[in-house]
Amino acid sequence: MSTRRQVALFVTCLVDAMRPRIGFAAIDVLEAAGCDVAVPQAQTCCGQPAFNSGDQADAATIARRTIEALEGFPFVVVPSGSCAGTIRVHYPELFADDPVWLPRAEALAARTWEILAFLDEVCGWRPENVALPTTATYHDSCSGLRELGVKAQPRRLLREVEGLSLKPLAGEETCCGFGGTFCVKYPAISNAIADEKAAAIEASGADLLLAGDLGCLMNMAGKLHRRGSPVRAMHTVEVLAGMGDGPAIGEEE
Amino acid sequence: MSARDAILRRLAGNPAGDIRAEADALLRAPERPAVDPAALAEVFAERLAGPSVSASLDRIARLEDVPGAVRRYLADTGLAGLYLPPEPLLTPLDWSGLTIESHAAIDGGAALAVASAAVAETGTLVLDTAPSAPMLPNFLALHHIVLVRGETLVAYLEDVSPPAAWPRARYWITGVSGTTDIEGQYVRGAHGPRYLHVLLLG
Amino acid sequence: MSGGFKQRAAAALADPVLKTAVERTAGTAEAKRALAVAAFADFEAARTRAAAIKDHVVANLGHYLEQFEANAVAAGAQVHWAETADEACRIVVDICRRAGAKSVARSKSMLGEEIGLPHALAEAGIERVETDLAEHIIQLADERPSHIVWPAMHKTRDQVSALFRARHAEPHLEETIAAMAESARRHLRAAMLGADVGISGANFLIADSGAVCTVTNEGNAELSVVPPRVHIVTAGIEKLVPSMDHAVHMLRMLARSATGAALTQYTSFYTGPKRADDLDGPEEMHIVLVDNGRTKMRAEGLAEMLRCIRCGACMNHCVVFRQIGGHAYGGTYPGPMGAVLTPAFDGLAASRDLPNACTMNGKCQEVCPVKIPLPTLLRGWREKSWREGLEPAGTRGAVRLWAWGARHPGLYRLGSAVAVRAMRLFGRGWISSLPLAGGWTRHRDMPAPQGRTFMELYRRGKRA
Repeated sequence: MSTRRQVALFVTCLVDAMRPRIGFAAIDVLEAAGCDVAVPQAQTCCGQPAFNSGDQADAATIARRTIEALEGFPFVVVPSGSCAGTIRVHYPELFADDPVWLPRAEALAARTWEILAFLDEVCGWRPENVALPTTATYHDSCSGLRELGVKAQPRRLLREVEGLSLKPLAGEETCCGFGGTFCVKYPAISNAIADEKAAAIEASGADLLLAGDLGCLMNMAGKLHRRGSPVRAMHTVEVLAGMGDGPAIGEEE
Repeated sequence: MSARDAILRRLAGNPAGDIRAEADALLRAPERPAVDPAALAEVFAERLAGPSVSASLDRIARLEDVPGAVRRYLADTGLAGLYLPPEPLLTPLDWSGLTIESHAAIDGGAALAVASAAVAETGTLVLDTAPSAPMLPNFLALHHIVLVRGETLVAYLEDVSPPAAWPRARYWITGVSGTTDIEGQYVRGAHGPRYLHVLLLG
Repeated sequence: MSGGFKQRAAAALADPVLKTAVERTAGTAEAKRALAVAAFADFEAARTRAAAIKDHVVANLGHYLEQFEANAVAAGAQVHWAETADEACRIVVDICRRAGAKSVARSKSMLGEEIGLPHALAEAGIERVETDLAEHIIQLADERPSHIVWPAMHKTRDQVSALFRARHAEPHLEETIAAMAESARRHLRAAMLGADVGISGANFLIADSGAVCTVTNEGNAELSVVPPRVHIVTAGIEKLVPSMDHAVHMLRMLARSATGAALTQYTSFYTGPKRADDLDGPEEMHIVLVDNGRTKMRAEGLAEMLRCIRCGACMNHCVVFRQIGGHAYGGTYPGPMGAVLTPAFDGLAASRDLPNACTMNGKCQEVCPVKIPLPTLLRGWREKSWREGLEPAGTRGAVRLWAWGARHPGLYRLGSAVAVRAMRLFGRGWISSLPLAGGWTRHRDMPAPQGRTFMELYRRGKRA
């Protein structure tokens, strides 16, 4: 029996489609932190789009599939605060009146972790021999922050990256305006919010934007690029895995 | 069915339990800013001086000193007259040299009142209506002068004793009237008094 | 009615004056509240207690209403009950008519707005004088409030100046805000002292004494309800608290959450009309207890919304409100609390945009002094909207299609592999225009995907 933690990676639909390197970075750091990582093949999406649209029936169906796919692992680790939050906080809500699925949802919730919190709190891990000599600024994605308490952990981890200087972001806890389907249902309002966020990021003086949620990062990076800003963006876990010198969001060949 | 019946019917079926005991339990050890019980007057003075309360303070030793303190304040502000309520505590004092009005001016002027209590936590003055204490003059005046007897100064809002019988109005005054309704800019004296002067006795 | 939310929001977004106004009020309130909270030890515990107090009251609301009524009546007040907004207005108008009232002085009451009292008074030919400075401004401008604490925050000083010059008998001479406030003070004083009836709201109703509590910073409530012969209070039934000490705790939370102050300048507790020997005060006091959907909210999953003490913190911290201001919401109440309440008052079909125009970021819940789970309640409206088929067909189709795909991993893998290759036809690196994604690319660029899905790469043994 391995003494290493057995972890299932829930890669999330957005990472799977748009930026797989986040998933591979996640595997790298988890292994470095003493985990064996499996990627259950039956996973697709946590069901957030249906859940936040009010389609409880579909959300519950997807949740049951996800619970089944992820059962049997002592830890489920997710490179996204909003997806981890959906599993930890909202799956039990979905099954509040279901005597069969509620215990299963609660059991999964108790074993599910946002990755930066997992690395810091459960593994007690710190990056070693990882260098990225640049200035960065950090955006606290709302779900991770308010549903899961992810705040200090990414900063503790990033502090160990050699040469990386973290500059404060004014309004770091202010929503970026992504909000899942909100940004396409109410694009003008989302744009106004994102513009203000981009202005704050530019004013921070940092070269690199970091966060823990790809949706937020795509929103902010897309806005920064449209504004002609040179600020680049990537997921925190990429930096921790030593991939900080790779292509930033929007820099795929 | 009357509206009352319809509404109460929809609300019928209180959960089982001792409502009173539950309500009381919710008041145990309330969270509030700490007030040093040995320094009530100091804390009170500090609150009065704060930016949103903006009250001036004069400490006097005896009740007989009240008219003198009032004369000093009025001389400083250039006012000659004062509205005095028919308060038995005040009537026998020596008001010579002051124009005493029996009716409050519609606007402007000064009015004197006696507080039932004061609260150090917030710099609040507690006033009650009574046959000897009308309420209107305290809101019409430009300058409001309030006498606080030291023994009625308490630490916290909960410490203010309820009156024996509730008057028409018990009102807390925590500073001068003000508003930020126009462009968020603070202006004093929106409707109520622009100036609040506290006489702390003892 | 909030049909037309998107148009109103668009107009608001295009209005630079509004943006300045919102930052000046809500932005300042945010900063001041933060200072007040930092200075208050155990603010989190205080929030928990405040939520528990209101939950206790709502759970025992019938008991407390009856206790309040008995005590208010014993003190000489007359208590009326109204199920609907119309009923409440009729009761108020009848009292005014019986009193022979030609004019009423009103202090700010959001409930009054909610039930349409200004309109009802106008229809009855009763002159209404708004005494709260901001309410006075919007009365002159014939507009509705745009914030529950600063109803006229959308007006500039120039606009206020023009209104006062046109309508005050002795308007301000200098173009300063102090002079304008002075002009309003002069103009409204005579009206307050000459009104036949004074109408106020209530921030709290105290069950064990029958007292009505109002809070203001101006002192206009006191000047509105002391001089007239008749004092009418309009209050939602959820305003009950068990005792004065419970009110004290709620009052500690209210001003800090709204403006960052420890207390408002004036906190008044009225128990019945004047006593026989009092030198001033109303001869009659009427308290109108208004349901207007509150018992329904309580029974249908919105009981937590009844904790609300109308502090405005939620809207001050809402990224959506901060961009579009209050009028865009189209109802009596704006911001997150408005997005929960408006569907209850106006019906979901007319207002379904409000619960949807939310990023679910949760800041509102974080700052609510009574911990109302606003995002959860908004999601509840979305669920109801979905069940009732109110969502547009395009949205339904997209969500259901996605959900179907998510339930079939094999097809999902195939579909996503195709999609990520297809997207790259529109650009490598950054995509500035993408069919079916106009909502996104109109305002921001879309990063092109890597071109292969994670699952594809992982199964092929790749590592990056």
